[in-house]
Amino acid sequence: MEKQDIIKSFKDSLFTGLIALALFGPIVGLRTASKGEGLFITPQWGVVLLLVGLCILGRFLININSARKTEFKFLSTLTSKFSNITDDKAKHFAITGILFAVVFPFLPFTDRYFMDVAIMILTYIMLGWGLNIVVGLAGLLDLGYVAFYAVGAYSYALIATTFGWSFWICLPLAGLFAAFFGILLGFPVLRLRGDYLAIVTLGFGEIIRIILINWYEVTNGPDGITGIPRPSFFGLPFKRSPDEGEMSFHTFFGLEYSTMHRIIFLYYLILVLALITNYFTLKIRKLPVGRAWEALREDEIACKSLGVNPTNTKLTAFAIGAMFGGFAGSFFATRQAFISPESFTFIESAIIVAIVVLGGMGSQTGVVLASIFLIGITEIFRDLEQYRMIAFGGAMVLIMVFKPKGILANRKPTILMHGDNK
Amino acid sequence: MTNLLSVEKLTMKFGGLVAIDDLSFDAKNNQITSIIGPNGAGKTTVFNCLTGFYKPTTGQMYLHQAEKKVSLRKYTDFKIAHVAKVARTFQNIRLFPAMSVLENLLVAQHNELMVASGYSLYGLLNLKSYREREQLAVNKAKYWLDIIGLTHRADDNAGDLPYGDQRKLEIVRAMCIEPKLLCLDEPAAGLNPKESAELNKLLKFIKTEKKTGILLIEHDMSVVMGISDHVVVLNYGKKIFEGTAEQTKNSKEVIEAYLGVDE
Repeated sequence: MEKQDIIKSFKDSLFTGLIALALFGPIVGLRTASKGEGLFITPQWGVVLLLVGLCILGRFLININSARKTEFKFLSTLTSKFSNITDDKAKHFAITGILFAVVFPFLPFTDRYFMDVAIMILTYIMLGWGLNIVVGLAGLLDLGYVAFYAVGAYSYALIATTFGWSFWICLPLAGLFAAFFGILLGFPVLRLRGDYLAIVTLGFGEIIRIILINWYEVTNGPDGITGIPRPSFFGLPFKRSPDEGEMSFHTFFGLEYSTMHRIIFLYYLILVLALITNYFTLKIRKLPVGRAWEALREDEIACKSLGVNPTNTKLTAFAIGAMFGGFAGSFFATRQAFISPESFTFIESAIIVAIVVLGGMGSQTGVVLASIFLIGITEIFRDLEQYRMIAFGGAMVLIMVFKPKGILANRKPTILMHGDNK
Repeated sequence: MTNLLSVEKLTMKFGGLVAIDDLSFDAKNNQITSIIGPNGAGKTTVFNCLTGFYKPTTGQMYLHQAEKKVSLRKYTDFKIAHVAKVARTFQNIRLFPAMSVLENLLVAQHNELMVASGYSLYGLLNLKSYREREQLAVNKAKYWLDIIGLTHRADDNAGDLPYGDQRKLEIVRAMCIEPKLLCLDEPAAGLNPKESAELNKLLKFIKTEKKTGILLIEHDMSVVMGISDHVVVLNYGKKIFEGTAEQTKNSKEVIEAYLGVDE
C-alpha cells in the first residue's frame, strides 16, 4: 500500500471523527439529570471521546481494508466465501438448520431465556419470509408491514375472546382478515412505485395503529385486549390444575407439570408456521404467478407489453404477504395473551424491512441469517439496556459495509433448461 | 393480400403539441411495414397508441382477425397483448435483466400458464397436468432459442447477454405470446453489420414461417430497404410518403425531409 493512501485514509478518518463529534457531542455528551429542585446538565466528555475514537479507528480500518485492492481483503473474502458455501450447499445448510431448530429445545444448555429468544427470532423469520414475497419478489417496498401483523393479532384476539373458538379456527380467519387488508392497501397504491409506495405504506401502518388506539368500543383502545386464550395441545390445555373432569397436557401424558411445556409447544408452533411460509414461498416462486412477481419487480412496462396483468399480480403479492403477517400476528397474540397498539409501532416494520433487505432481497436463507444476526446481537447486548440499539445499528452498518447487496444476494433461476450440473 | 391493421385518421395531442396529425395507413398480413422519419416525427407515439400505452385523441385503429374487425381503442394496457395479440419491443431494451433467459420467455406465456396452473392451485398441488403444460412452455422457449442460437445460455441472466443477443431475445420473447401483429421499435439500434444481417434473417423468418405481420420503426436504412415490403414516411406527425422501399428511396419528399430543402 502506498504512503499516500495511508495519509489519505488518515485524513478521512479524522473527518469522520469530526462528524462523530458533532453528533455524539450534544446527544451523548450533555446528559440531563434531575437533582433536587430542577434539571442539571452533567457533561460526559469521556464517553464522547471514547465513541469518537472508536469511529476514527473503525473508519481507518475500513479505509485500509478497501485500499488493499489486489491483496486479500480480510472481511470481504470471509463473507463472500461464506455466501459461496451457503449457495453451493444450500440444501445441506437448510436441512442442518431445520434439524438444529427441531432438536434445539432439548439441548442441554437450552433454558427458558434461550427459548424465548428463539421464539422471537422465529417470529421475525416468519415475518421476514412473509414480507420477502412483497419486497423481495414483487419489489414493492412496504414500510407498513406491521399493520398486517397487527390486523392478524387483533383479529385473532377479538375472535378468540368473543366466540371462544379454538386456535386452529381463529388462525386461518386472522390470516384471511389480514389478506383482505392487504388487498385494501393494494388498491390505492397500484400506480405507485419506489419512494412513493414506501411513504403510502408507512402511512397505512400508522393509520392501522391509530385506529387501534382510538376505536375504543372494539379494540379497547390503548388498554389493549387481555385474556386471550392460550393455545392448547389438540384440546389439552397447559394448566397446572385442570378443571373437574378435564385433562391437561401433563396429566394426560403423565408428566411432571412444567411451564416449559407450553414454551416448547409455542416454539414448535412458530417453527411449523415459519416453515409453512417458507415452503409456500419456495413453491410459489416457481409458479407463473411467482415469476410474474419477479418480472414486475424487474420491469413493469415490459410486463404489460407481454399481457401480464399488473393489478392482479400486485394484489396477490400484497394479499399473500399480508396473510403470513396475519398468521404471525395470531401467534404473537396467543403467545402474549395480551396485545395493545404499543406492540405494533413503526420500529417493528423497520426491523422486518431491515431483515429482508440486509438478508439479501428475495433470499430465504438470507432472512434467517439476518434475523439471527440482528435480533441475536440485540439480545446478547441486552445488559447494556438502551445502548443495545447501538449494537443493532452497528450490525446493520457492518452488513452494509461488507455485503451491500445483502448477506446472500445470489438469485437462482426458478427453472433450469440444462439441469443442475453446472 | 389482406389488410391486417388499418389506422384511420389517428391524431394524438399532448397539450398544444400535435404529435400525430391525421395519420392513416394500412399494414398487410405477412408483410413487413416500416415506419421511418426523422427524429421526433412521431413514430414511437404511433406505436404507443397501437399498443395501448397512450389513448389517441381521435381516430381509429382496427386489427383484422379471421372474420371480425377488432378496434384497438377498446383495449388498454396489458389487454392489447393478452386479448388483441399485438406484441411490441422497446427502443431501449426492456428485458427482465435479473431473471434467466428461459424465465423471460416463460413470463411471456404467463396467461396460458396461469390458467394451466389453476391460478396457482394446481401448481401448488404439483398436478401432472400443470407440469406437462409447463414442459410445453419450456419447449416453445427452446424452439425460439434454437432459432436465435441462444439455447446454451438459457439459464444465464438476461442482463448478462451481449447487446445484440438481448435485442434478439426481446423479439422472440414478444413472439412467445403468438402475436398477430409484432411492433418492433428500432430493433437494429446499436447492432453491428453482422448482427443487423442476423436480425434481417430473423424478421424474414417470422414473416414467412410464422405468418405474423410486422410493423417496424427503424433508422438503419440497410435494414429498412433490405426487408420492408411497404414503407410509411412520417415527418412532424404527418404522413408524407407511402410506397415500396424502391419508391421511397427515390422520393423527392423523403429526401427533403431527411436532408432539408435547397434554398
